[in-house]
Amino acid sequence: MKTLALADVQVAFHDHLLNQPSSIAQEVIEGGRISVDHRLNIYHNAYRARLLENLRDTFEKTWNYLGDDTFDDLALAFIEANPPLHRNLRWHGGEFPQYLADQFSQHSFIAELAIIDWQLRHAFDGPNATPLQPAELAELSTEDWGSVGFQFAPTFFIAPLRNNSVSIWHALDQEQTPPAAVALLEPSWLLIWRKGWQPHFRTIQAVEQAALSQLHGGASFAQVCDALSQQFSDQEAASVAAEGLRTWLQDELIVGLTGVLPS
Amino acid sequence: MNPIVNMLRQKSPGFGLGLRPVHYPDFLREAQAVDWLEIISENYMIPGGKPLAMLDAILERYPVAMHGVSLSIGSADGLDAQYLTELKALAKHVQPLWISDHLCWTGVQGRNSHDLLPLPYSEEALRLVVRHVEQVQDTLGQRILLENVSSYLDYRSSEMSEWEFLRLVSEQADCLLLLDVNNIYVSSINHGFDAIEFLNHLPVERVQQIHLAGHSDHGDYIVDTHDHPVAEPVWELYRYTCERFGEVAAMIERDDDIPELSELISELNRARAIAAETLSPEVLEAVS
Repeated sequence: MKTLALADVQVAFHDHLLNQPSSIAQEVIEGGRISVDHRLNIYHNAYRARLLENLRDTFEKTWNYLGDDTFDDLALAFIEANPPLHRNLRWHGGEFPQYLADQFSQHSFIAELAIIDWQLRHAFDGPNATPLQPAELAELSTEDWGSVGFQFAPTFFIAPLRNNSVSIWHALDQEQTPPAAVALLEPSWLLIWRKGWQPHFRTIQAVEQAALSQLHGGASFAQVCDALSQQFSDQEAASVAAEGLRTWLQDELIVGLTGVLPS
Repeated sequence: MNPIVNMLRQKSPGFGLGLRPVHYPDFLREAQAVDWLEIISENYMIPGGKPLAMLDAILERYPVAMHGVSLSIGSADGLDAQYLTELKALAKHVQPLWISDHLCWTGVQGRNSHDLLPLPYSEEALRLVVRHVEQVQDTLGQRILLENVSSYLDYRSSEMSEWEFLRLVSEQADCLLLLDVNNIYVSSINHGFDAIEFLNHLPVERVQQIHLAGHSDHGDYIVDTHDHPVAEPVWELYRYTCERFGEVAAMIERDDDIPELSELISELNRARAIAAETLSPEVLEAVS
């Protein structure tokens, strides 16, 4: 019987791993103490076991919440539909939060837990940047303050939140019984970034989200202050802007200045 | 061992361990009885953060070898240029003792299994692997080491033994070898070949490094799991490996159920003792 060329053997083998129709069994030598099917199954099982272990590790709190059986069923179904395409296992699972959102359309907090897990993991080994020191702001001229904007940490991530997922995540992290999932009463957002070597996250409200999103999108600080003064008195707007800036500097969210004229 | 062999390998830096994050504090707190460390390259082919900071601190204290799992040297897809670029950048940063990966393929048609899949030992696969090794070595500017994988099946299209394939790849591509003694043992049980014959056919001058690891015995077959201490038959095979290949850098790989560092160092000391027992004064002189 003629054997397949190398490329065809590899395609057949990989198809077998992915549960697709495959002629690989005909390419494997019979004999020894275990059957050809058994030999192929070792690889078939190892493929799933490795990817499942990686998803459990990456989505640890989501796994803790759902429990072994439910998480594994979902993760294995995800693995069937999403074979890894990258050489580094770090990138497998990026679509898992959306997969959970599709599976649990009535329980959106589950996908939110998965988003927190994924983004924290990627903040952990995301790009480095040196935080801006307050002294650098003190050197700005009045003219500079008219145009200055900010560069944010490369791990900066912001996304809308509909549920108390952050409270659930924290309870799981402290190995406590998580609170019941409830929808948040006012619009909220999840903010994730890395401070030092440690990923951080917190829930933010509309005013801070709007300011951060504008600044992240390239608006100047003056433009953000103008936007705030549409909602607040001038004094309140100045206070909100100053308090926001102080917090972002302390949190090491800001890593550089834009729009500063050369001196 | 033939003392007049012209060694292509570097002088052994001694006895090492695979660096695992759980042991970062031990290695950074005080000097450990470990001569060098092996990192999994892909764990540090990342944008930034704590793992790279830990790596930098380790590099100040220990010589480091780079060991990859995703080069996929035998894939019919060809080499992944992006992966090679990232590997080269990491090597520039680490300045490793050497760079290794596995004689296998990990995926095809752009998909990656994240497993070390066996190649048919065919002329076609030999030509493809030799071409790829030459490309990788040209890119990295140095010889790489290829490791024999544990395997659970062989193909009808194989035209030679695994050891013949390893020998021909290393000689035709002018690369070095990383002998995983546990993998040889695992595959010898799974395929019913003689592990000693395997070792006897490999070129002494090209063996730069040895891996030792644990496995799971399922009775009819053995799985390479790296979650147990090194098994007795593997220690015996290591003794023979030392007798045949002389002073070769050896290390223990542990990837699951990772014990305290002190336990791994005790295991490593057993490797040191076996190596010392097998090196006769003549051999010691020849390899020094």
